[in-house]
Amino acid sequence: MRYFFLILLIIFAILIWQSVFIVDQTQQAFLLQLGKPIKKVFGPGLHFKLPFVQQVMRFEKRLLEYDAAPAEILTKDKKNLVVDNYSRWRIVDPLKFYKTVKTIQGAQARLDDIIYAQLRIELGIHSLTEVVSEKRSELMEKVTQRCNKLTAEYGIEVVDVRIKRADLPPENEKFVFERMRAEREREAKRYRSEGKEQAMKIRAAADRERAVILAKAYEEAERIKGEGDMEAIKIYAEAIRQDPEFYAFIKSLEVYQKVFDENTQLIITPQEPFMRFFFKTQKNN
Amino acid sequence: MPWDWEEYQQTQEKIPSFIKKWQEKCKQWKKRIKLPLILLILLLLWLISGIYIVSPDEVGVVKRFGKMVRVTMPGPHYHLPYPIETVLKPKVTKVRRIEIGFRTVSVGPPAQYRSVPEESLMLTGDENIVSVEFIVQYRIKDPVAYLFNVKDIPETVKDAAEAAMREIVGKTPIDEILTVGKYRIQQETKELLQKILDRYNAGLKVVAVQLQDVHPPKAVMHAFKDVASAKEDMNKFINEAEAYRNDILPRAKGKAAQIINEAIAYKETKIRKAKGEMERFLSRLKAYKQAPKVIKEQIYLETMEKILAKTKEIVLPEKIEKIILPLGEKTLLKETKEK
Repeated sequence: MRYFFLILLIIFAILIWQSVFIVDQTQQAFLLQLGKPIKKVFGPGLHFKLPFVQQVMRFEKRLLEYDAAPAEILTKDKKNLVVDNYSRWRIVDPLKFYKTVKTIQGAQARLDDIIYAQLRIELGIHSLTEVVSEKRSELMEKVTQRCNKLTAEYGIEVVDVRIKRADLPPENEKFVFERMRAEREREAKRYRSEGKEQAMKIRAAADRERAVILAKAYEEAERIKGEGDMEAIKIYAEAIRQDPEFYAFIKSLEVYQKVFDENTQLIITPQEPFMRFFFKTQKNN
Repeated sequence: MPWDWEEYQQTQEKIPSFIKKWQEKCKQWKKRIKLPLILLILLLLWLISGIYIVSPDEVGVVKRFGKMVRVTMPGPHYHLPYPIETVLKPKVTKVRRIEIGFRTVSVGPPAQYRSVPEESLMLTGDENIVSVEFIVQYRIKDPVAYLFNVKDIPETVKDAAEAAMREIVGKTPIDEILTVGKYRIQQETKELLQKILDRYNAGLKVVAVQLQDVHPPKAVMHAFKDVASAKEDMNKFINEAEAYRNDILPRAKGKAAQIINEAIAYKETKIRKAKGEMERFLSRLKAYKQAPKVIKEQIYLETMEKILAKTKEIVLPEKIEKIILPLGEKTLLKETKEK
């Protein structure tokens, strides 16, 4: 009796176990009835199903990542770019998803094809600078939208396709480094020559300024000296005017005194005024 | 509650003794307590297991059969026991950090870092390559969104941050990145990253994007450094020239002052001398006017005395027409006048 009760209890428990199911907040689910999907999607919570004949299929509802391997893509201006893009996507229709790609791995393989193809197309009509800088975001937006259209049939929504990295292949990198080096060397040269030029200008200006200062000083000096000379001449003239005769006499004598030295030979005649007494005395004797 | 005692007894049981005494106990219990009672106790324990405490740095997110039903704030709370309700407690105040372009090898001190070139090297707006290492700090803004919307949050933030940084750097010329543009790049990257994460509805707030180390790639480092030293050279040349100017101009000004002073001195001397001389002349003139003949004679004789004391003279006889003498260089030939 007791055993029977226990068995009944166990059977009951299994029945309950088979007729309820829990869907987590991060999941969505639908039921397969004998392998055929039933068109009803369950959100999170506790739900009921028929035991044994219905099987729960759970799928992620969260945003999922898809990170492609980097691939070389040719831009419009025939430059190679190594593009590493990633994408974020989610399953919006688990039924479609189940019918087409079945699993997340399957979805990723499909996404890989779609996104890569779209990127190639889009990048092929833009130049490298547009891809790297000018139109990067709108380009990604376009690719995202196109992918979305294509993935709708798999029950997938592509929320975002982003170029994570867009780099040059190694052989092109070398060229860039060369160019960068050349540019910097040019810049360095420019700075140095500019410095020299400026320095020369400063020096030349300084030299000129010095010359001007001195010339002005000389000019001023000459003017002052001239004033002195004028003043002196005026003074002389003023005094001499009073008796030019006498001045000439005195000045002449001064000049004689200055000019005649021990090498001078004077020839003196008796007419010389101061000799008159000399000769007179001789005659008188 | 009459059950408390039983409960206490149960929990206090030590395992070894429990096993030893199992049989005996069972008999005792069977006698004393009926099955419903045991079930009741178990039920009670099960109900108690729903008590949980949310720490100040967390919030509680309660799910009922997997479905999110409520968010609870720090403090003690109760949820219906497993498997009906479960609680998740994300740390909402914690600032999380992601390193991009480098990894911290050891925190130190001194801290050691390792570069990750494939993450740090990127194209700039003027098609140069630059190495950018940065960190992203973020925290949970909306715990519900954080828990249920995006799978693999750290990976998501890292991908988005890389994409954002490269997008911003890809619009900026290298010189700006290396010098004045850093703050702007941080801000713009932060904004863009926030926009991307909001698009994913990740429930995150980007606290900061901080550039750690921004430098030219190793292959061209030397050329970049040379530019810096070239700038220094430029300044050196200019400074030297300035120094030259600052040296010669004051000296020129000094020289100019000297020239002018000399001129003033000359003028002064000249005038004073003239005045002096004329004073002397005038005083002599005054004397002369009183007795012209005498004074003139006197002056003449005084002068002659001085002259004749110095010179060699030759006295000639009275009447001579012309005479040529082999005289020295400095000869004064005076023609005699006829009387």
